Parts: sequence; C-alpha cells; structure tokens
Amino acid sequence: MMHCTMDDLLALRAGEASVWARKHIETCAACRAELDALYQRVAQLKALPALRPPRDRWPVVRDAVRGERARRRRTWGVWSLAAAAALAGVLLLQPNQAALHAELAEVKQQSATLEEQLQRYDVDGRVLSGRAAALVADLEDRIAVIDGALTSPAQDAQRVKLWQQRVGLMQQLVTVRATRARYVGL
Amino acid sequence: MTVALAVPDVLVARAKAGDQAALEALFRAFETPVYNLARRIMRTPEDAEDVLQETFLEVVRSIRQYRGEGHLWGWIRRIAATKALMRIRRDQLRAAEPLDDEPAGRPGTHIGANIDLERAFEHLSDTSRSVVWLHDVEGYTHEEIADLMGKSVSFSKSQLARAHARLRRMLQGSEGAEA
Repeated sequence: MMHCTMDDLLALRAGEASVWARKHIETCAACRAELDALYQRVAQLKALPALRPPRDRWPVVRDAVRGERARRRRTWGVWSLAAAAALAGVLLLQPNQAALHAELAEVKQQSATLEEQLQRYDVDGRVLSGRAAALVADLEDRIAVIDGALTSPAQDAQRVKLWQQRVGLMQQLVTVRATRARYVGL
Repeated sequence: MTVALAVPDVLVARAKAGDQAALEALFRAFETPVYNLARRIMRTPEDAEDVLQETFLEVVRSIRQYRGEGHLWGWIRRIAATKALMRIRRDQLRAAEPLDDEPAGRPGTHIGANIDLERAFEHLSDTSRSVVWLHDVEGYTHEEIADLMGKSVSFSKSQLARAHARLRRMLQGSEGAEA
C-alpha cells in the first residue's frame, strides 16, 4: 500500500494536497498518525522558550549611530559651504545670471548656518515630547524630499526656490529644537 | 514564540526624530524576539548577537522609512531574517558549501540516542533550520521565504519537506533507542 510522503503531509497541512492524498488520509491510520506527529512537532517548536541575548548590545549600536550622525553633519556642512563658494566663482564668469546666482549662494549660506545651529541642539538626539518628535520627523521628512529634488538637474530659478523652501523648513526645525533646549535648561 | 507587542505610535515618532531614549526603548522591546529568531537560525550565540547588532543598526538608520504599514515587529523581523540569511549565505560561500547542503549539525555536538526536538532541530542544516523556523514558527509563506533567500518557491517547499523528514527520523531513532 502506498503512503503519504512528507510533501503530501505538508500539503495536507497547508490545505493544498492532491485528491489522492486527501482520500488516502481518511482511510490510512498510519498516515493520519504521521500527520498528527507533524502538527505536534510544529506546536512544540512554537512552544520553545525564548532565548535571550547574553550581553547588552545597545551601547555598541548607540555609539555606532552617534558616530555616523556626527560624520553626516560634518559632511553636509562642508558640502554646503563648498557649494556656496563654487557659486560665488561662477558669478564672476556669468554676469548675466549674477542676480540669480547671488540669490542661490545666499540661500545656501543660510542653509549651512542653520545646519550648524541645528547641530548644537541635536548633538545626542536629546529627549523630545511626542508632539515635538512628530513635528521634527515631519520637518525632516520634508527636508529629505527637497534634498532628493536638489540632486536632480534643474534650472537655477527652480533650485533657488527649492533651497528657499529648505531654509524655511530648517528654520522651523531649529525653532523646535531651540524651544526644547530652553525648556530643559540646556 | 509569539510576539504580540504593541508599540505606541508616539514612541515610533520620537524614534524617527532621532530621540535616543525612544530608540533604546525600541531596542529593549524587540531585542529578545530578534535574538531568539537569530539564535534559532544561526549556528552560534556569537553569530546571533552579531545579527542582533546589525539588525538594530539597520533599524536605527532606516526607521524613518517605516510608514506604519503593518506591525512594527513584522518590519523589524524582516530585517533580522535578512541579516541572518545574508550571514549564512556568506559563511556558506566561504566554506564553499552549496546552499541546500545537508547538514552536519552544530560544531562540537553529535546526535546521541536520546534527542529531543530542540536538539534535533539544531542538527538540521543552516538552510533547513531557517526555512522551518521562518515557515512553521514565524509564519512566513514559501513565497516570502523564497524572496528572502533569493530562491524559488519549490526550493523552500522541498527544504521544508526534507527538514521534517529528517526531524522525524531523528526523533523516531531516539524513541526506538529508548524503548
């Protein structure tokens, strides 16, 4: 007599078995016992006790993330200043676009200054209230979207507009952080 | 192991904003289920600890990408499973073993006559353990496992069948020896 294979038993458990397997399991006590044993094994696996980490790994994660944040801030600050300086150079070469470029350089400089201010309030990711945290997350999300747009090619006028929006959001972010810092007496 | 941990939205929002206390609270909430998943799949406690660390580094870096679709544990668990499977794949490549190789069990252990399910499970190959744990305990579908492993659905199904056949043989052998 032919019996169910493990594939058949697993298919029966999943409700995907062949017609033959479904009929066979009704009449074969040995295969029903195998199916029961399969259910029991899985139930026992699910009931195994949770294994707990032997050491606290949070300090390693925390320190690594702090290091990454500090590096990112430094890189961003340097990049902003370099971009502003490069634009100042372009001004000399293309006087017909001077006004637009001047505006772009100015708004980038504002952005870099705000980044520096923000860094002072955000050194260790200090504790925020839930409302403030949600506001910060929203502002940072919107800044990230603008940063994404700034990486794409665009006309100078469009870039000025994006940078102005970025500065506006950065100012709001600094205000939230500064308010919180005053509140906790930092 | 069933994880039914509800995390307040406000905690997630604070974590997204980079609040250290909120990030640590998330770590504390999920360190045991992540470690348990990794430990059941990986060969050694040290490997499981590394998976725990890599998982939370990724969680902290990417928490802003979590949009609240589905349970946070599902999102973190997928990161943990991916990290564990990547580590297994890397180790297998280093050892020049095929992914679906039949097992050798964990180093320093051997199958005795009296073996319980937990020890029998440890003697499965890395790949078989991963498939059994993800499918039967964590509730992943074969499609999801195939996606995580970069393999086909039939690969996942056949691994599960082979693993259960082997568990059955090991446990039956144990019962026979005890009788």
